[in-house]
Amino acid sequence: MSTAVTERRDSTPPSDATPMLEVKDLVVRYGRGRKAAAAPAAVDHVSFSIAPGETVGLVGESGSGKSTIGKAILGLQKVSGGTITYQGKDITSAGAAERRALGGELRAVFQDPNSSLNPRNTIGTSLAEPLRLRGLSAAEARAKAEDMLERVGLPRDAVDRYPSQFSGGQRQRISVARALICDPQLVVCDEAVSALDLSTQAQVLNLLADLRDERGLSYLFIAHDIAVVQFLAQRVVVLYRGQVMESGPAAAVTENPRHPFTQALVAASPVPRPAEQAARREARESLGVRTGAAAVPAPGGCPFRLRCPLATDLCATERPALRRVGTADVACHYA
Amino acid sequence: MEVTMALFITKRLLMALATVLVVAVLAFLLVHAMPGSPGAVSLGAGASQQAIDEVNQRMGWNDPLPAQFFTWLGSAVQGDLGVSLIDGRSVSADLASRLPVTASLAAGATVLSAVLGIGLGVTAAVRGGVVDRIIGGVAGMAVALPAFWIGIIFVYLLAVQSSVFPATGYVPFESSPQDWALSLALPVITLAVGGGAFIARQTRASMLEALQQEHIRTLRATATPTWKILYVHALRYASLPIVAGIALQFIQLFGGSVIAEQLFAMPGLGQAVQNSVSTHDAPSVQGVVVIATVVVVAVNLVLELATKFLDPKLRAS
Amino acid sequence: MIPNVAPAPADQAQPTTAADLRKTRRQGAPKKFTGSKLFGSFGSIAGVAWLAVLVAASLTAPLWLPFKTEDQDFTAVLSGPTAAHWLGTDELGRDLLSRIFASAAGTLGTSIITVIVAVGLGTLLAMLAAAAGERVENAVSRVTEIMMSLPGTVIILAVIGAVGTNIPMIMGILGVLISAGIYRVMLGQAKSLQSQLYVDAAKVDGVSTAGISLRHVLPGLTNTIVVQAALIFAVGMLIQAGLAFIGFGPPIPQPSWGGMIQGASQHVYDAPWMMVPTGAGLALTVLSANAIGNALGKAPNATASHLPSAAARRQRAKAVATIASAAPAPVTQDGVAKGTLSVRNLSVGVDSTGAGSGVRLVTDVSFDVEQGTVLGLVGESGCGKTMTALSLLGLLPSGVSVTGGQILWNGRNLAATTDKAMETVRGRDIALISQEPMRALDPMFTVGYQLTATIRRLRGMGKAEAREEARNLLEKVGIVDAARILKTYPHQISGGMAQRVAIALALAGQPKLLVADEPTTALDVTVQAEILSLLRSLVTDTGMSVVMVTHDLGVVADICDQVAVMYAGQVVENGRTDSILDNPRHPYTLALLAADPHANHANDMPERLATIQGQVPQPKDWPTGCRFAARCQFAGSACLEPVPLLPSGAGEGLVRCVKADQLAVEGMDWLATDVPAARALEITPTQNPRSLQTIVEKDLA
Repeated sequence: MSTAVTERRDSTPPSDATPMLEVKDLVVRYGRGRKAAAAPAAVDHVSFSIAPGETVGLVGESGSGKSTIGKAILGLQKVSGGTITYQGKDITSAGAAERRALGGELRAVFQDPNSSLNPRNTIGTSLAEPLRLRGLSAAEARAKAEDMLERVGLPRDAVDRYPSQFSGGQRQRISVARALICDPQLVVCDEAVSALDLSTQAQVLNLLADLRDERGLSYLFIAHDIAVVQFLAQRVVVLYRGQVMESGPAAAVTENPRHPFTQALVAASPVPRPAEQAARREARESLGVRTGAAAVPAPGGCPFRLRCPLATDLCATERPALRRVGTADVACHYA
Repeated sequence: MEVTMALFITKRLLMALATVLVVAVLAFLLVHAMPGSPGAVSLGAGASQQAIDEVNQRMGWNDPLPAQFFTWLGSAVQGDLGVSLIDGRSVSADLASRLPVTASLAAGATVLSAVLGIGLGVTAAVRGGVVDRIIGGVAGMAVALPAFWIGIIFVYLLAVQSSVFPATGYVPFESSPQDWALSLALPVITLAVGGGAFIARQTRASMLEALQQEHIRTLRATATPTWKILYVHALRYASLPIVAGIALQFIQLFGGSVIAEQLFAMPGLGQAVQNSVSTHDAPSVQGVVVIATVVVVAVNLVLELATKFLDPKLRAS
Repeated sequence: MIPNVAPAPADQAQPTTAADLRKTRRQGAPKKFTGSKLFGSFGSIAGVAWLAVLVAASLTAPLWLPFKTEDQDFTAVLSGPTAAHWLGTDELGRDLLSRIFASAAGTLGTSIITVIVAVGLGTLLAMLAAAAGERVENAVSRVTEIMMSLPGTVIILAVIGAVGTNIPMIMGILGVLISAGIYRVMLGQAKSLQSQLYVDAAKVDGVSTAGISLRHVLPGLTNTIVVQAALIFAVGMLIQAGLAFIGFGPPIPQPSWGGMIQGASQHVYDAPWMMVPTGAGLALTVLSANAIGNALGKAPNATASHLPSAAARRQRAKAVATIASAAPAPVTQDGVAKGTLSVRNLSVGVDSTGAGSGVRLVTDVSFDVEQGTVLGLVGESGCGKTMTALSLLGLLPSGVSVTGGQILWNGRNLAATTDKAMETVRGRDIALISQEPMRALDPMFTVGYQLTATIRRLRGMGKAEAREEARNLLEKVGIVDAARILKTYPHQISGGMAQRVAIALALAGQPKLLVADEPTTALDVTVQAEILSLLRSLVTDTGMSVVMVTHDLGVVADICDQVAVMYAGQVVENGRTDSILDNPRHPYTLALLAADPHANHANDMPERLATIQGQVPQPKDWPTGCRFAARCQFAGSACLEPVPLLPSGAGEGLVRCVKADQLAVEGMDWLATDVPAARALEITPTQNPRSLQTIVEKDLA
């Protein structure tokens, strides 16, 4: 899967640069022993890359492995197979010391604004932690923290306050500030706006977009909500049960999905316009995608086959490889 | 599921066996650290060094420790825990006569604690308000009062002042079931004060937690009668921690009967360990430790099986 | 004799879904060790005072005690309290007061050894197990399991046999035995702290495992450490006294509390007074330590019970009677058709006892739901949607109740109906489905049991018939292998399946109105679509009506006929769904739509979304005027007055905005504001973001 050039936004990077991040054949299995080895992998041979300045969206439902991929990239999850390369360096199993060496460049914003800041530390202490690890003095770190708070739209004196004094949206801004305080190149956003209400969600999404345009950041934006991904990402990777179903330019994947699962996913996402939603609903119902409730397919073959209206015997025996359909790569025998 | 259950029980049995073995080693080492050799202890003061050495030699005291341990273990698994250094009686026989005393004491106190504790705990949680505060206050006091002190008060009130119950002594069940029950009454009530308070607190907390569960709202939304919500659904949900609390209580009472036995002059295991520790009677100490551990481990095993049976999540997996 | 260290109630599980987070977001700061808690209750103040006096008195004993501990007064053997011996004397005529206070320091001091060993070792092991992963955790847990299944007293006695009555050492070994219990209490908490996202963030930074344990885990454990220390202190004292009682205390002439009680027990026949002072001294000290521990360990805000206690129910019944007498139920529902739910001026508030008393959560809410239609209650969190919905069934959580208004249903005012009488309405007339289907089902019973019991109760069917009906219901909600699902426990099925079961349960009594509280929020979007289709077909087939609580405008567009937009406890706009979503009249609705990325396609996605500055104010901060004014782009001086709900001019809709007409005429849009503007954010959520001054100035400009 190469870096696809998208027509959206002027910040699109040159496609021939070394990728910011490259994930190749990533496999993650949970647990140990024979039982775990027999179970389907949580992440099953996933590959994608992120170009400098590019935002890639990782979309899927619960159990799709999207958050596991994020954790593996951040070193929070043991990898069972494959490689993760950051700017040409293999970081698949980098330890704490190696992470410290590159931690400034690869950072994260997590889902829950309640738990992503230590409630016992002041905002200043939380923001300074990564800087102090890199040898900055307390005064320098504090000054930088104040600057960063101002940048995300909070008053400078917030450094002396505790997380409980802020609302969810504000805390998520502080998390963004913490992620960006040591001028990273790549930020993994794991469901970074999922816990927020509509109006605060929009505030944080705008902030992420502003910072990207300002600093040329790359994002790996992990979310279950395809509309949110569509706002921020230039490219989208769609996952189902640990496998990539479809990946390509955001507009193509969300407006003209090729894979039956992507089609179901897009069609199920409701729009707040009654007439249009009625039409979408009819279109969705005519897709003929079966309910996912009882469908746990045996390993091998296409993981979506039990719900897929197009499935044949071939889908049970042979896992479809990603192939180019239009501008996107699709893992379906019949797309 | 049958297979996994069998596997589970086997695993737990092995674990229990390991525990007993560890304790046996521990007890053996402790006993060896006791001051005085068996010869010195059994012959008493004034015995000649030669006589002492002779006894020690005969009892294998000078053999290497592992050899001594395995000799002891070999007889122990056949039910022979050696002989007392003080009176030469078989430790096994002595403990066998004492076990029923302690067992009836602990079992009686546990049953009474459970009845009192569950009753009061559920009442406190369900009634709330003043009732809850009164039960909470009384339970708080009861947990803080030492059992031996409560025991004396009971002796004073129920035996000295009004002679409802005999103050001390134990009557075996075989000789007179009625007297047996009467002789147990005071020690059982004494132990059940603290135990009941502990279980009442545990029950109240578990019930309140159960009532905070969202499925209680579903039950109310489907017009389930209040009594059924409380005594079928909430109590069922709360049963796991309550059962665990009761089992812990039994373990504690079984091990902790020393005080009640001392206070009420009951010839139980606690008295045995107290006496043998005072007299440095090594085989007896070792025997009691092992027997007590076996009982406690067995209760734990039963608890785990009960938990597994009560919790559908564990039962299914 | 080795008391169990009662495990503290398990910490609430970490929220896992976005939906959970939305619900738990506003919870206060985590447990912190604070002095205010220590002095927050009478018991703990008294406890601290007693311990302080005891320690001070004991340490200075030689200076002030009237007698030496060994002084024998043969003129007053076994005496009760006298002028010379305030607390009486023992069998040798020794002064009890002197002996009690002189021996206190030693007892307390050696008990602290147990505390330090038990809590220190237990905490250390817990932190190690939490940090080092599953394998180490399993090993440590196995060892502590063995330790916990030891007969503690017997072992301690065996130790005494080996080392003699070396009290400090025995108390230390006791600490080791107890540490297993402490480990159990601490492990869950340490693991939960270890799983916090800020720990993940620190790991991403490259902070070492030890650094994380020290900087992020240990500080979070301090409160539990202090609580457990206080409780273990009491345990240590009791055990030490118990040992002395059975003769393993300090050497003979030296006084000890347990030894003194033992002495007293010998004279229970001739001098019963003797056991009062020593016993009381020991009990007071243990009580003090327990009171301190309990005060520190008290959870600041317990989760509300779903079945209030009998005392609370009585109180609520009284409140209901007041409402009933204040607003007599209407005999005829003037113009309201049968099968229509009509909510009139409903208010919900926090009860007058307890924290936040009297705060209004829902004010003056009115709406109608006609038979066979779906009404959406939509808004952000903290707007009172769920409270409104739960009040329809009389299922408000404890501590919250209806304070005014009417809920008219089939000629009855449900707001003034007792809990007992509501049982005839719940399930049969009005049913409920909620956000977390997994938690809505009883985990201890099979799906089949829960369904059949409900059917039998609500429909009066026999066992076999009910069983058959349960199958039918499951099939009706789209479950193919109903027979198998009936035999399963809730944890064995997926979230989507559980929601179908919950719907079947709600349908068991053939209700005419279904209250659905965010029924799809916790589900995947493809499952959400299926559940919405199911609900739609149920409405068509059975003619029931639905009140759908949701924050998702897309869900509203999909299923609702009517919608009421709620903001800060009020309905700000209501009417037909198409007119409101396609042509919103209230600035809040306008803003919500502009902020929703779902409203756009990839090709018309704006560079930036519209935002609403600030956030929904807390109920206690609601202004008297328009509650949205402080965040509204169009606010003016007229917005400082209370705003009534007036016809919006679009169909039968109503809107609560003085500028609605003007906005409609001018066709204004909610503009996408730039975020970085610091003015857009106020520091605390409770402060009013914009002063009235600025609002007025803007209006004048």
